[in-house]
Amino acid sequence: MDYSEAANRISRKFASGGETPDVKKIEGKLKRLVDEFGVQPSEAERSVTNELAKEFNLPAPGFGTTAGSTGKNGGTEEKKIAEGVPGEWVTIEGKIVALAAPASPSIAQSGIIADESGAIRFVVWAKSNAPAMADGSWYRIESAVVDEYKGVANLKIHSGTTIKEITEDRSLIPTPTPIKDLRPGIGGIRAKFVQEWDASHERMLQSGLLGDETGTIKFVIWKEPGKEKLVPGAVYNIFYAQVDEFNGRLSLNLNAATILQEEGEIEVSGGEATMTGAIVHIAPGSGIIKRCPVEGCNRALSRQNYCPVHEIQPKFVYDLRIKGWLDDGEKTHNVLIQRDVVESLTGISLAQAQEIAENNPLGMDEVFIQMREKILGRYIQCSGREIDGRLLVNKCEKIAFSTAEHTALLNRAGGAPS
Amino acid sequence: MSTNATDMPARREGQFEREPARRVFAAELRECRYQFKDGEDEKSPTFVLLPSGERSNRIFIVGTLTEKTRQGEQNMFYRGRVVDPTGTFFVMAGSYQPEAMQQLAKIEPPQFVAVIGKASIYQKDPASAPLVSVRVESINVVDKETRDQWVLDTAKHTLDRVDAFTKEPTPDILKAKEQYPTIDPSLFRKIAYDALAQIKM
Repeated sequence: MDYSEAANRISRKFASGGETPDVKKIEGKLKRLVDEFGVQPSEAERSVTNELAKEFNLPAPGFGTTAGSTGKNGGTEEKKIAEGVPGEWVTIEGKIVALAAPASPSIAQSGIIADESGAIRFVVWAKSNAPAMADGSWYRIESAVVDEYKGVANLKIHSGTTIKEITEDRSLIPTPTPIKDLRPGIGGIRAKFVQEWDASHERMLQSGLLGDETGTIKFVIWKEPGKEKLVPGAVYNIFYAQVDEFNGRLSLNLNAATILQEEGEIEVSGGEATMTGAIVHIAPGSGIIKRCPVEGCNRALSRQNYCPVHEIQPKFVYDLRIKGWLDDGEKTHNVLIQRDVVESLTGISLAQAQEIAENNPLGMDEVFIQMREKILGRYIQCSGREIDGRLLVNKCEKIAFSTAEHTALLNRAGGAPS
Repeated sequence: MSTNATDMPARREGQFEREPARRVFAAELRECRYQFKDGEDEKSPTFVLLPSGERSNRIFIVGTLTEKTRQGEQNMFYRGRVVDPTGTFFVMAGSYQPEAMQQLAKIEPPQFVAVIGKASIYQKDPASAPLVSVRVESINVVDKETRDQWVLDTAKHTLDRVDAFTKEPTPDILKAKEQYPTIDPSLFRKIAYDALAQIKM
């Protein structure tokens, strides 16, 4: 069997990356794998390529085990940034829109590069000896590798990559994405700062909720020199923010983003929703609860008055809430009902609940039981804002029996031929 | 502006979704003979296939608790009968559902009750007829208006299923046709009508 063709193919792959592997040596390795170890030729080609990639300290060039690697000459096609798929060698032209401090000494530069199709994070390895790129300039990057890091596509610039600065003046106007269409990676939105949350970590500068016509998303800005807080209620154009995913929920990290405040106004949908159904479950933690009195905390305390952040708080504040499931027979919705709505729905006021909790032998459990008896299995309609799959209910009413619906159903059941 | 939208999984994929509580009349639930598991996992939900062509893991019923009996010594449990306009549901709550058992123990029949539970098919021995029973997750005393609303709600869902049965067949409808060859779902249209007609205007 002749291995020179495959060996040349492998060699070319690395030649385009600036390395000059020994073709004879490659041929010998292939021969040994196939003849001596009975490895499939395509698999042998793959493993020799990976071995060389490791040797030259390059990410393994991606191609399938049986793929027609013969077709692509190193696979460095010119692409739009949005078209890059992990495992591919690409050549792109883009603008550096953000630079971040390298997270490790083996990284020379990292940041975000964008073209009109999208944006991608990039990493320049220190070993690559690549020229430093400047924020705001355009570059042509040849033979870089797209791979995946923490589930997000990433562009790796290694020693085989050629970087050329593009001097002509090009404009780049990014288009915002509706919040509901955001995906992990890099994204831009036009949104209103609808809710500010308390920083849950000392390194956190600000966190809260951004909203547009299609939904809302959590954001965070970490403390870093030069970072400024957003103004609640203001509208922003935010570009090249990092969209992270955690437990299936998305959030925006704005540290590397370009943020421009504007004058406009946005009708934030905030996921306004109304749902009708029967209450099929009341979850533990419903009824009367104690909350942490520390300014801005308000967390629910444990039975022993323990706040996860501020420890024992004997001067807690009472509150009412119901966490439950509203079911329409097709889908079950998680609902969180706040105090005033709980009061009108159950007919038990906070003062009455407190009186029960403090004087009944079952204490707070008795409030839970009484509230459950009043609403479990009842048909109600809830309105509020839906955030992360949970309806925060601010209006709620019991549904009355409808004679009109009764008549309509009788007609429907009796009307059709059986 | 995402970098490779096509490769990313759907946004809510993998997140826990609570099984909805299906609305079904006693006359239809009684006919169920086929139950199955969705997936290989030990914790995969078990479904009972309704003859009208829909799977049900959890059900929501409202009716009259007419009878309640305590059984067993070591493994005590409660059995009850909940009656709707079309027939009887057999409900039970054992020591594995202590909350539900205590709730049921407290209720003195007759009372209108709402029951959320899971249906499953039992057969005492190969010779006896299979029995569909409902393991209670929650039971609560309600009023007559809630019962009447449930009849409307259940009639509507039953009619929706019967209508869907003759249209585009879903995998569950095909399965129901295979498992219940002798049952004509239009029977449940009549049952829904009779149930509605029992509500006094």
